[in-house]
Amino acid sequence: MFASLAAWHRRAWAMDGRFAVALLFLPPALFLFTLFVALPMGEAAWYSFYNWNGYGTPETFVGLKNYELLLQNRPFRIALVNNLLIIAVSLLIQLPLALAMAVLLADRIRGAVVFRMIFFVPFVLAEIAAGLIWRFVYDGDYGLVAKTASALGFEPPYLLADRELAMYAILVVVVWKYFGFHMMLYIASLQQIDPNLYEAARIDGATGRQIFTQVTLPLLGPTIRLSVFFAVLGSIQLFDLIMPLTKGGPSDSTQTLVTYLYSYGVTRMRIGFGSAVGVILFTICVVFAFGYSRIRTRYD
Amino acid sequence: MILHRIVAALLWFATGIAAADAAEVTVKMLHVEQNPQASGFWKDIARSFMATHPGVKIEVQYLENEAYKKKLTTLLQSQDRPHIIYSWGGGVLREQVKAGVIEDLTPSMTAQWRESFSPAAIQAYTLNGKVYGVPMLVSQVGFFYNKTLFAKAGVDANAIKTWDDLLAAVKKLKAAGVTPIIVGGADKWPLHFYWTHLAMRNGGKSAFDAALRGEGEGFAAAPFVKAGEQLQQLVDLAPFQAGFLGATFPQSSGQFGDGKGAMNLQGNFMLNSMRANAADKKGLPADKLGWFPFPVTAGGKGDASDTLGGLNGWLVTKGAPKEALEFLKFFLKPEHQREAAARGFYIPVLRGTQDAIADPILRRIGENLARSKYHQIFYDQMLGPAVGAVVNDVSADIAAKAMTPQEAAQAVQQAWELAN
Amino acid sequence: MTDGARYDTAVTMSPLLRYAILLLVAGLVLVPLVATVLGGFKSLGELRVNPFGLPAQWEWGNYWSIVSGARYWQLLWNSLIVATLTVALTLIASAMAAFVFAHVRFFGSTFLLRYLLIGLMFPAAAAILPLFIKVRDLGLLDTYWAVVLPQVAFGLAMSILLFRNFFRQIPAELLDAALIDGCGYIRFFRYVTLPLSRPIIATVGVIVFVHSWNNYLLPLVVLNRDSIYPWPLGIMAYQGEYSTDWQLVLAFVTLTILPAVVMFVTAQKYLVAGLTAGAVKG
Repeated sequence: MFASLAAWHRRAWAMDGRFAVALLFLPPALFLFTLFVALPMGEAAWYSFYNWNGYGTPETFVGLKNYELLLQNRPFRIALVNNLLIIAVSLLIQLPLALAMAVLLADRIRGAVVFRMIFFVPFVLAEIAAGLIWRFVYDGDYGLVAKTASALGFEPPYLLADRELAMYAILVVVVWKYFGFHMMLYIASLQQIDPNLYEAARIDGATGRQIFTQVTLPLLGPTIRLSVFFAVLGSIQLFDLIMPLTKGGPSDSTQTLVTYLYSYGVTRMRIGFGSAVGVILFTICVVFAFGYSRIRTRYD
Repeated sequence: MILHRIVAALLWFATGIAAADAAEVTVKMLHVEQNPQASGFWKDIARSFMATHPGVKIEVQYLENEAYKKKLTTLLQSQDRPHIIYSWGGGVLREQVKAGVIEDLTPSMTAQWRESFSPAAIQAYTLNGKVYGVPMLVSQVGFFYNKTLFAKAGVDANAIKTWDDLLAAVKKLKAAGVTPIIVGGADKWPLHFYWTHLAMRNGGKSAFDAALRGEGEGFAAAPFVKAGEQLQQLVDLAPFQAGFLGATFPQSSGQFGDGKGAMNLQGNFMLNSMRANAADKKGLPADKLGWFPFPVTAGGKGDASDTLGGLNGWLVTKGAPKEALEFLKFFLKPEHQREAAARGFYIPVLRGTQDAIADPILRRIGENLARSKYHQIFYDQMLGPAVGAVVNDVSADIAAKAMTPQEAAQAVQQAWELAN
Repeated sequence: MTDGARYDTAVTMSPLLRYAILLLVAGLVLVPLVATVLGGFKSLGELRVNPFGLPAQWEWGNYWSIVSGARYWQLLWNSLIVATLTVALTLIASAMAAFVFAHVRFFGSTFLLRYLLIGLMFPAAAAILPLFIKVRDLGLLDTYWAVVLPQVAFGLAMSILLFRNFFRQIPAELLDAALIDGCGYIRFFRYVTLPLSRPIIATVGVIVFVHSWNNYLLPLVVLNRDSIYPWPLGIMAYQGEYSTDWQLVLAFVTLTILPAVVMFVTAQKYLVAGLTAGAVKG
């Protein structure tokens, strides 16, 4: 009997220990998270059904009107298209570039570390700084682009003031800024590949291209998927880079979801409207994240 | 023992701070004047006030124009808001008063003080019979032009009376290889001057008042649509400087001052910006600078003496110390208004101070304003933040050829209906 | 097999071609940066005619006017305070929570973990407006806390994930043995887990610090007083005021990216390892 009592006592004590630590250690994180993340997200959904300027309490219930207005709003549609464009460019240009550089630099050639550092520096800079630097580069009066153009005999273009071209100018900056990060991911992965695999493949007579597609790429699969994950989530959230360059202009041609949220929701204090944009943003991210984890469990 | 010492020291320290707090009141004033001479003048006023009022500290702070407009709504909700803020009146003021963040100045406004301002000026800051702010300056929007460039193209400014005259002048300037117009398209509001002024010339005060009352098609009515069409006529001539959609107001003022373009439709406050942003920090000298009023439109109901411009002033935020209003009264004393006029910073509103204006252009504008029976405050301020922003948007969109005049007028009307 | 090329590499390519490509890309990456740094040393007039090359005359005045003014240092100081507070709070809250999730199984623990990990999935931008309202209603607008607390909250998800992964690697036998010996969970955390966790603490700390240091949107919405601006807001305000004086703006940009670049160059192996390890594992 004493033995079982002792056992019960020990278990109770263990339980107490567990409870104690859970009760002590969890609340800070849970409290902060609930107050500043979960609640605001719920409130965003709540506010999105109202027309509210932020003072007092929301009074004017408008149902789905905000969402309706959004879909009718030309700048919002442009923002959606731009985000898709950024994702496309990230996946089709930035990632291959990163992969190419990774492949060139994964081997221990001389100077590899220096090149890697150089390519990674843009990623280290704050987005706001990168935006300002490229604002200078693109400036029609003082910029590098203008100077090169006139040196070659062309009229200096005002890229950031051109409704057609401004978005493409921004895409260049996006590639410049982030390809280094993805390159680092790939290099880490490439360096894990057993060199004997390459040797074996070559001995079997595989060509360079075959080695790449049959050996390297498949082994890089998980990393590439991760890279896509970061690229897409990052593209959806693009804001800091765009503000110094164009603030979403000219004529709303470079709006993205978040710059739109800021320009049309925050600065005009249209809380309901802006919250609707936030809800849409959240939904897109969640849908993508779920889709991604589905794919991951299928392949990995 | 040591603990006692520490507690005593802390108490002494705390009371010391409390005492210091009681002795010193800080009044914060936030403005958007970029020109260091004008803002320096204001700082001098602050200094002389502080000299005669020990225990009061006046902090005159500057925030860039666009950032100020964007931040104002969030700024006013903070505990730490400035006590005196710059205002353009209009619907934005109305929203601020509705939100309950602006101090009602009627109790402090003695009859004598009120009478010292022109009635229109005080009226602009009176809502529901209560005075919520104090006016400081009037401004008018008109065409500033570069005399040298006009001469080069053979254009006579005095001959520009109608809109068609203006279009002809633009063509002549282009033919002579001169950029006809400089505009700060990135900030959008410089473009809305065109749309607004055309609407004013087309429909006059009656059209605007009708739209405000929600009569008929409101802002989608004919005068406003026509304004868009006329603006489109201008845009089709490609009159603006290269990259105008990316040029901010300060940049465009600087460009005008550098002689990059012949005309600039702006308020007289542009001159301060020009001097601050031109490459030589001076801009066009007085003898090279000309001014003519916005032309009339064919068949327009508006009066040629109607003026578009600002009636800017200061507001006191709720909870500001009483020293704030005292400082404001001091700030707007006749001699300070006269000095500002003499140094060419702005056109004062205090009665009897206009004769101190030295600059001939400002003097002419002052006379225009005195004669005007209908002074329209900038639409983007008058119509309130949400609708005003839409007016700016559509003006820029027409200039960027992204929107038709019909769509533009309808967008404004839709925004108006939504906000009211 | 006869030309001495290595066959155990991913790609065979003539070194000449490889270096040519690398140099080209490196040039494209570096040109904007170098032009920015040099631009700060030129006068406005020279900047217009010679944006690429070395300054004909090195104007130290631009950099000096910024460094000798209080504004620049105030911005950096504000950023430092916000970042340090964020890192401290994030580390404490997430390490503690991760410890519970790593070792203590109780009813609802999986649910709570999933709840917290939702935070991984969406950006602060989506909730920025209600966040603003909340911060305002708490009376925190225009304080450091307005930035620190939301940053901590949004950083918890990733930090907890990283910590939990790391804690799981500490052998379970250690914990069991400690418990049997009468050592409570909390003591174990303090005397065993934490000391072993230096690498992950440093990694999470650096990631959180860098993110806070560069954050723009959140401070933009909740801060109005320019004396409390962190450097991203400060530099945008500066650019707004001096928009026509590119040489000053470029000098300012250079001075603000300098700490980050220096930190990166000195700690690059470490930063990168942390990022990739955390990312690949996550």
